[in-house]
Amino acid sequence: MKSAPQNAPIRVMLVDDHPSRAQSVEEHLKAAGFEVLSVISSATGLLFQIEQHRPDVVLIDLQSPDRDVLESLAIVNRHSPTAMVMFAEEDDPDYIRQAVEAGISTYLMEGINPAKVKPVIEVAMAQFKSFQGLRQELDTARTQLQDRTLIEKAKGLLMLQKRISENEAHQLLTRLAMDNNQRLRDVAQTVIATLSALEIRK
Amino acid sequence: MSDPARLPPAEITQLSLGYMRLTDAAPLILAKEEGLYARYGLDVTLRREVSWANLRDKLVIGDLDAAHLLAPLPMTTTFGAGGIRGNLLTGLSLGLNGNAITVSNSLWDSLGLHYPGRAPDALEVVKKLGEQIKERGPGSRLTFATVHAFSMHTFLLRLWFQAGQIDPDVDIRLLVLPPEQMCDSLARGIIDGFCVGEPWSTVAVEQGIGTVAASGYQIWNNAPEKVLGVTEHWHNLHPATHLRLRLAIMEACRLLTEPQQRVRIAEIMSQRQYLNLPEKMLLPSLTGDYRFSKNDAPVQVPEFHVFWKFQAGFPWRSHAEWIVQQSSALLGKEINADDTRALVQQSYRANLYREAARCLGELSPSQDYKEENRHGSPWEFEPGITLGADVMIGNPQYSGKTD
Repeated sequence: MKSAPQNAPIRVMLVDDHPSRAQSVEEHLKAAGFEVLSVISSATGLLFQIEQHRPDVVLIDLQSPDRDVLESLAIVNRHSPTAMVMFAEEDDPDYIRQAVEAGISTYLMEGINPAKVKPVIEVAMAQFKSFQGLRQELDTARTQLQDRTLIEKAKGLLMLQKRISENEAHQLLTRLAMDNNQRLRDVAQTVIATLSALEIRK
Repeated sequence: MSDPARLPPAEITQLSLGYMRLTDAAPLILAKEEGLYARYGLDVTLRREVSWANLRDKLVIGDLDAAHLLAPLPMTTTFGAGGIRGNLLTGLSLGLNGNAITVSNSLWDSLGLHYPGRAPDALEVVKKLGEQIKERGPGSRLTFATVHAFSMHTFLLRLWFQAGQIDPDVDIRLLVLPPEQMCDSLARGIIDGFCVGEPWSTVAVEQGIGTVAASGYQIWNNAPEKVLGVTEHWHNLHPATHLRLRLAIMEACRLLTEPQQRVRIAEIMSQRQYLNLPEKMLLPSLTGDYRFSKNDAPVQVPEFHVFWKFQAGFPWRSHAEWIVQQSSALLGKEINADDTRALVQQSYRANLYREAARCLGELSPSQDYKEENRHGSPWEFEPGITLGADVMIGNPQYSGKTD
């Protein structure tokens, strides 16, 4: 609102269902000198929270169903003092893409200077992106673990079936992978399927 | 049935198609399950989204190729009313009707109206509500919710209130909530009623927390509802892919005229990867065997969802024009006649429907506009083309025809 003093810090509300991500965004925003009014998850009465806190900016997870609620504040309640508009810089088409890719959307109180809000968004976007990075790393680690389990299982079955050592079983799998131009985990999967079928028939 | 081999080759074949968790996503899901996309050489991934804002943004930036959109969104996004701006268009409407207005049991009981064995009289209900609001006087405003500001839900709800001499801007507090929160908010008394797409009214009725006071059909017979939206840019780059996509979905819409397909799609959509809701919540509106309140027997409302007959897929510009007028009223911003017409012509592409209908060997209307609010029963628009009733509740000033 225009009544806010010129140098007052931008007051931010964060709507995010991921507590750890929300926490890191909050910490980084505070460190950058912004005021974080509240951090809420979806389905906790966004309209009420906005009326209570009157934030200058709302940062919201793209996957929150509350986005349509926020957008309605620009339209249905156009006479209310809490009219929010979407931050969508017309001269920067890349911004929308980046924001969507990072998984975040920003709304500001009507009358707030968008230039003042930009640093807030940059801080939040960086945290959202690093959270995405962490999740990808986690996914990769999980896949690697699953692969290793599969390979171990295939080796065990081969050792039993062919009465060979672990080392020989490993070499056999590696050779099969090279001959068939397949990844080790895929070969392991085939071996498990084939040998398990044999087991059942026995 | 058309021969896909004789169509121009698709520019791209891998598509992402976004939809919301609503019963009227049925044609998009049936086209997938029936292998209709594949028959037209398309590999379509269906993506369920959590908000209309997400569908719109992902469509605008190209993360989605096409989407199940509220009928007003092509115009309001092109116009830039709230949210990001982008030129959107549709060449296929995904069906007519599909909404209902549900009120809390306490509000319903306070009206003292009973309709054993038949649907409530939507006009009588809202007139009674209007009288009650006048008696209560200002300061005790009722709160109603819809799922998006620019939706047929909002516009039909406002039309209904106006028919009961209720001013939706003064007498009612109108807000937006996610569909999943509607029933809970109604049960907790945060809202007094809502207008939403199915299955959310049925969920409220089945849970015993609300009574359906009016079906969307009763407010405006055969009103527009959802469309298949794409960006103008995407359409210009991929006209042949767009045509194939429309054909696949139109074939699904045509299949949905068969009662057994309605039952089948309810079973399919109940699955976890689609709507993830019990089948019994989806069946009432799809079969037209609809329950308005928990303690009353179901009533036959065969036009609850119309996917194919009455030229349901045709993007009528007379529908679009009404939508722009309503959006303008909601925004409190004048959109003059020339701008309205330009917006409607840019966003509602009747010719794209005709192109697809020709491929399917089906008739389509030769005019872009039709009369609205004139016919109380099905009528012949042109030889071989029968359209449904088009009456609006309370008989407001709108005729649909332009000079």
